[in-house]
Amino acid sequence: MASSNNEEESAVKEPLDLIRLSLDERIYVKLRSDRELRGKLHAYDQHLNMILGDVEETITTVEIDDETYEEIVRTTKRNVQYLFVRGDGVILVSPPLRTA
Amino acid sequence: MFKYIAEKLLVLLRDGRKLMGILRSFDQFANVVLESASERVIVGDLYCDIPLGLYVIRGENVVLIGELDLEREELPPHMTRVSAEEIKRAQKAEKDATDLKGSMRKRMEFLDFD
Amino acid sequence: MLFFSYFKDLVGREVTVELKNDLAIRGTLHSVDQYLNIKLENTRVVDQDKYPHMLSVRNCFIRGSVVRYVQLPPEGVDTDLLHDATRREARGG
Repeated sequence: MASSNNEEESAVKEPLDLIRLSLDERIYVKLRSDRELRGKLHAYDQHLNMILGDVEETITTVEIDDETYEEIVRTTKRNVQYLFVRGDGVILVSPPLRTA
Repeated sequence: MFKYIAEKLLVLLRDGRKLMGILRSFDQFANVVLESASERVIVGDLYCDIPLGLYVIRGENVVLIGELDLEREELPPHMTRVSAEEIKRAQKAEKDATDLKGSMRKRMEFLDFD
Repeated sequence: MLFFSYFKDLVGREVTVELKNDLAIRGTLHSVDQYLNIKLENTRVVDQDKYPHMLSVRNCFIRGSVVRYVQLPPEGVDTDLLHDATRREARGG
């Protein structure tokens, strides 16, 4: 075993290695059913189940006006201190660059 | 794993249906055998229990299995029990209203393209 | 295994389980299995008026696959422990 432990820790060989580097960092998660999360990543596994801290959830809903039948797009936000997220709803994970 | 056997339960399915009955067996996939099963149909403040018989439910369709507290009222007091015919009429009226909203929206979209 | 172990340690605490059908249920975590199926006790539905059929449900089994979120109690989260466990799991441990 020539490679040091450090090298092993920082190597990015597969997609989930990038998520490992985001541990204890704030990330952006896009979920199914028009939901987005921003929060600090505290734990994850190979299914992309996660625990996030200081989470802000954004839900985008489209309603149809009863009179004009126009689409009304609404976003609702809420905050949760700690949230377990089931991986099967995750579409993508990213560092929250432009979304500060 | 399961201590609810022989109890009266509520089983919520993924399509939103609500089944009630006595749990006869249950496995690791959440496959369920319900005896004397009935479907509780709720439309607004109206409800009806439609008898179904013996049901085997495939686990992947199960959302939740709830144990009913016999000390508590099953439904809020403002809800009224109606006949199967009446609940079916109410269901159809509700569906027609939703369909109308959808079709009106489509017509409006069509006009937008003119 | 990480989250199975985590939830096992959380047994006895109050959590809010939010399902993919938008139903949210608060209750005491009674047990969890390897599929992350969850059993709650002393449950109450967050938006009771919208779900009248849930009025008399006190204890329930929730299939893991229908869970969207679980809101965790702050005292049940040790971030250092979670970081270590996650790194161990990522190494295939």
